[in-house]
Amino acid sequence: MTQWNMYSRGDKIFAMTCAILVGMFTAATLYPFIYIAAVSFSSGFAATAGKVVLTPIDFTVEAYRFILGDPRFWNSYKNTFIYTIGGTAMSLVLIIPAAYALSRPQLVGRRFWNLFIAFTMWFNAGMIPFFLNMRDLGLLDSMFGIIIGFAVNAFNIILLRNFFESIPRSFEEAARMDGANEFQVLWKVFVPLAKPAIATITLFCIVSRWNGFFWAMVLLQSEEKIPLQVFLRHTIANLSDTEEFAMTALDASYSAETITAAIIVCSILPVLIVYPFIQRYFEKGILLGGVKE
Amino acid sequence: MSGVKLDRVVKTYGAVQVVHGIDLHIKPKEFVVLVGPSGCGKSTTLRMIAGLEEISGGTIAIDGRVVNRVAPKDRDVAMVFQNYALYPHLSVAENIAFGLRIRRTPREEIRRSVAEVAEILGLTQYLERRPADLSGGQRQRVAMGRAIVRHPKVFLFDEPLSNLDAKLRTQMRAEIRRLHNRLGVTSIYVTHDQVEAMTLADRIVVMNGGRIEQIGTPMELFTNPANLFVAGFIGSPPMNQLRGRVVRDADGPAVMIRDIRVRLPRDVSVEDSQEVLLGVRPEHVLLAARSNATPVPISLDLVEPLGSEALLHAEIHGQPFVIKAPTQGDVGRFSGLDMIHLPAEELKVFDAETGRSLITHQVSGG
Amino acid sequence: MRETQESTSLTTEELVIEARESLRDRIRRRAVWAGDHFRREWQLYVMLAPAIIWFVVFLYKPMYGLQIAFKDYSIFRGISGSPWVGLEHFQQLFTNDQFLRAIKNTLAISALNLLFGFPAPIILALLFNEILNRTYKRTCQTIVYLPHFISSVIIAGIVITAFSPSAGIVNTALRWLGMEPIYFLTRPEWFRPIFVGTGIWQEAGFGSIVFLAAIAGINPALYESAVVDGASRWQMMWKITLPSILPTILIMLIIRIGNIMEVSFELIILLYRPATYETADVVNTFVYRQGLQSGQYDLAAAAGLFNAVVAFVLVMLANTLSRRLSKTSLW
Repeated sequence: MTQWNMYSRGDKIFAMTCAILVGMFTAATLYPFIYIAAVSFSSGFAATAGKVVLTPIDFTVEAYRFILGDPRFWNSYKNTFIYTIGGTAMSLVLIIPAAYALSRPQLVGRRFWNLFIAFTMWFNAGMIPFFLNMRDLGLLDSMFGIIIGFAVNAFNIILLRNFFESIPRSFEEAARMDGANEFQVLWKVFVPLAKPAIATITLFCIVSRWNGFFWAMVLLQSEEKIPLQVFLRHTIANLSDTEEFAMTALDASYSAETITAAIIVCSILPVLIVYPFIQRYFEKGILLGGVKE
Repeated sequence: MSGVKLDRVVKTYGAVQVVHGIDLHIKPKEFVVLVGPSGCGKSTTLRMIAGLEEISGGTIAIDGRVVNRVAPKDRDVAMVFQNYALYPHLSVAENIAFGLRIRRTPREEIRRSVAEVAEILGLTQYLERRPADLSGGQRQRVAMGRAIVRHPKVFLFDEPLSNLDAKLRTQMRAEIRRLHNRLGVTSIYVTHDQVEAMTLADRIVVMNGGRIEQIGTPMELFTNPANLFVAGFIGSPPMNQLRGRVVRDADGPAVMIRDIRVRLPRDVSVEDSQEVLLGVRPEHVLLAARSNATPVPISLDLVEPLGSEALLHAEIHGQPFVIKAPTQGDVGRFSGLDMIHLPAEELKVFDAETGRSLITHQVSGG
Repeated sequence: MRETQESTSLTTEELVIEARESLRDRIRRRAVWAGDHFRREWQLYVMLAPAIIWFVVFLYKPMYGLQIAFKDYSIFRGISGSPWVGLEHFQQLFTNDQFLRAIKNTLAISALNLLFGFPAPIILALLFNEILNRTYKRTCQTIVYLPHFISSVIIAGIVITAFSPSAGIVNTALRWLGMEPIYFLTRPEWFRPIFVGTGIWQEAGFGSIVFLAAIAGINPALYESAVVDGASRWQMMWKITLPSILPTILIMLIIRIGNIMEVSFELIILLYRPATYETADVVNTFVYRQGLQSGQYDLAAAAGLFNAVVAFVLVMLANTLSRRLSKTSLW
C-alpha cells in the first residue's frame, strides 16, 4: 500500500476516521439481520423478555419447527417461485424483442413508440383504475394475472434499448449480409452481446418478483395462491395483533417474536444465497439506466 | 465472374444529396478502390452496393442483375467492416462459419470450408480462440475469412485497415492484394489513404463531394491527374502548386512566376496570359542542370531527413515549395542550395479557375 | 432566367395538373417505399407488437378508466355506463380533512426524506472514496447494498420486532438507560423518524453506487496535481471530489424533487395503524383505504388522479431542468 506511506499524519487520521465511520454504518446495516437471526433461535421466553441482543438466548429451533411445519408456508414459498420464474421469463420475452426493435433506426415511428413507452414512466392512471382494469380483464385472484400484469415496465425497456443502441451497427449489418433475419440477428448476435444488460434486467425482475407484495395482497384472495411475502404479512399481522395473548397462550419455547424472526430468516435466505452472484451485475446495471433517452 | 455496374446512382438523406449521380463500371475480377476525403460519399456508395443503404436514384447491377430492391443477403456480396464486427461470444471458427450456419449449410461442408479458409489465411491454429484473444492483424484476417468462406461474387471492404498500426497496415495491405490475386474475386475497397489505394488497386476511383473526380489506374492518376483535386490527393507529399501566368512566344508556351520563366511541355492547350497553376511533384525536381529543364531560384528554410531521401521545404517568390531529393547518406549537401531545375516533360498545368488539367497529350502511365 | 420565363408561360390549369401529378407521383413513391420497407422489416414490428399491446392493455386502458374520477361509479353500471358528476369528487376531497392531512403528510415525509435521506448516500460515497484497503471497502459495500434487496414486508417485520414494546431491542436499550419503554409504533410523533430512518438504513448504501461511479469518473490527474501542490486528503475531498460530482448530485436532487409525491407507501401500509394515521397517512395510502378497502372507487380514483397530475407536472419540470443543466435528458 504505497499510497498510505505517502500520506501525511493528518491524511492518515482522516482516512482512519472515514474507515471507522463506514465501519459503523456497515455494522448498523448488519445488526438488524444479526438481531433477527438471534431472536429466531432464542426461546420465546427470552425473546419476549427482551434478553436477546446479539446471540441466541436459550438456543432452540422451536420457532422454525413451528413455521416449517405449516403447509401454508411451503405453499406460499412454492407460489413465490412460480411468480418469480414465470414472471421473469414473461418479462424477458416481452422486453428483449421490443427493446431491440426500438433500438433500430430503420423502425418507422421510432420516436413515437419511444414516447409511447416513456410516457408511462411519467404518468400512470394509478391504483384504482389499474385494479378495476384487472378486474374487468378477469385477472382477479389469478396467478396468470400476477405474472402478466406486471411483466413490463418502461424503465427496463429503455435500459436495454440504450444498451442495444450502443452496439455498433456493423454487427447487425454483418449478420444481415450473412443472411440472418431480424430474429436471428437478435438471438444470435445482440442477445449474447447484451449479456450484461440482460443480466441486470433479469436481476431487477427477479428481485421485484421475489419481494412483490402489495398487488399480490390486493389481487389474490385464495390462500393457496398467495406468495411468501403476503403469507409473511398475514402471519406477522396476526401475531403482533394478538401479542398479549401470544405470551400466555403459546408455549414458552417460542413466541410471536421468534416466529416472526424465523419467517424473516427463511424468506431472506434465498436472497442471501444468490446475492454475491448478482452483486457484480447490479452495480453496472444501475448505471446503465442513467443513460440518456 | 461478375462485374458491378453503377448507373447515375444518387443518395439523398431527406433534403440533402450526398451522392450526385455516379457512373461506374467495374469489370469482373477487378480490384477497384474508392478513395477520397471523409464525407466524399465513398462509404455511402459502398454501402449502397452492399444493400445496407437504400438507393435513392439510378441503378446498381451486380453480375447483370439490377439489385436496387434486393436484400443484402440475396446480393451474394460479402463485406469486411472497419471494426470487423467479429462476434465476441463466438470462437474464430464459429465466426467464420456464422454465415454458413445461418444458411443451413450441411455441418460437414461447413467444417471443410472453415478449415480451407483458415488454411488460406493462416488461422488454423487459432480456430478455437475468441476474437478478444487475437492480435489486430489476426482479427482482420478472421473478418476476411468470414467474407471468403461464402464464395461471394463481390468482396466489399470498408476501410478494413484503418484500425491497425502503420506497420501492420503495410503487411495486411500486401496480404489482401495477394489474396485477390489468388482468388480473383471482384473487389471494391474503400479507403481514405491514397497509399493504400495506389498499392492495392487495378483502378482507382477518386471521389470528392459526392462526385467522381477521376477513374484510372494508379499510374494514370499519378502521371495525368485530371484536375487539381486528384493531383493534390494522389502522391505524397502532395504536388506543389505555383501560381503564374501563361506567355506564348517563339520558344513555345511558358509560365511566368513573377520574373521567373518556366518552360512548359509542348502538348498543353493554354491561351496567352491565362492564369494557371503549375504542378510540380516534389520527386520530379532536379538539383542539377539539364537540357529542357528550367532553372529556378529558391530560398531553402528547412531540411527534413527521412533516411535515403530528404524533404526540403523552400519558397519560390513567397509560394511554398517542397522538394524530395536523395540524401546519398549526407544531408549536408543541401546546405547552400539556392537553385533547382524543373524538367518540362514532368510539369503539369491546371486552369487556376476550374482546376482542370490543361495537358492535352495523355502519356499512358505504367 | 429562361426557365422562369417558360414556367410563367404555363397556364394555371397546366400548373394544377402538374402539381397533382407530382403529388400522385410522390404518393406512389411513398407507397412503393412503404411496401418495400414492410416486406423487408416486418419482423421488427412483430417484435415490438407484444410489448405495445401490453402497454395498451395494462397501462393505457386504465387511463381511460380514470374517467370514473368524474363519475358516480357503480360496479354494476360499469365505467362508461355510470353518470357524470363533474368535479364533485374533487370538491369532496378538498373539504375532506383526511385527504388534506394526507397531502400534508406526503409533503412532510418527502421533505424529511430529502433533508436526511438525500445527503446520506453522498456522504457515504465520499467516505468510501477515502478507504484505501480494497478488501475492507468491498466488504462494507457488499453489506450496505444488501437491504435494498430486502422486501418491504421483511423490513416492516424487522422494524416491528426491533421496536416491539416488550421484546424489542430498542426498548431493551432504553430500559438499560433507565428509561420507560415506549410503544413506538403507536405513537404518531415517532412514526416519521422511524420511517425516514428505515429508508436511510435501506437505501443509503445502494444510492451511493451512483455517486461512487461519478467519483470513479474523475480524472486522476486532478488528484495528482493536487498532491504535487501539497493538498491534504480533506482538502481534496472538498476542492476536487465534491465539485466534480456536483452535476450528478444536482441531477439526482432534481429527480428526487420530481418524485416528491412518491412515498414508498407499501412500507407505510405495513407500519401504520389507526393510532398513527395522523402523521403517517399519505395520499397513496388514503387512496388504498378509500378505494380498495372501502370500495369508494370514484373518490379514490379522483385522489389518485390529483396525485398523478401533480407528480407528472413535477417530473416534467424536473426533466426540463436537468436537461438544461446537463444537456442530456434523463429518460
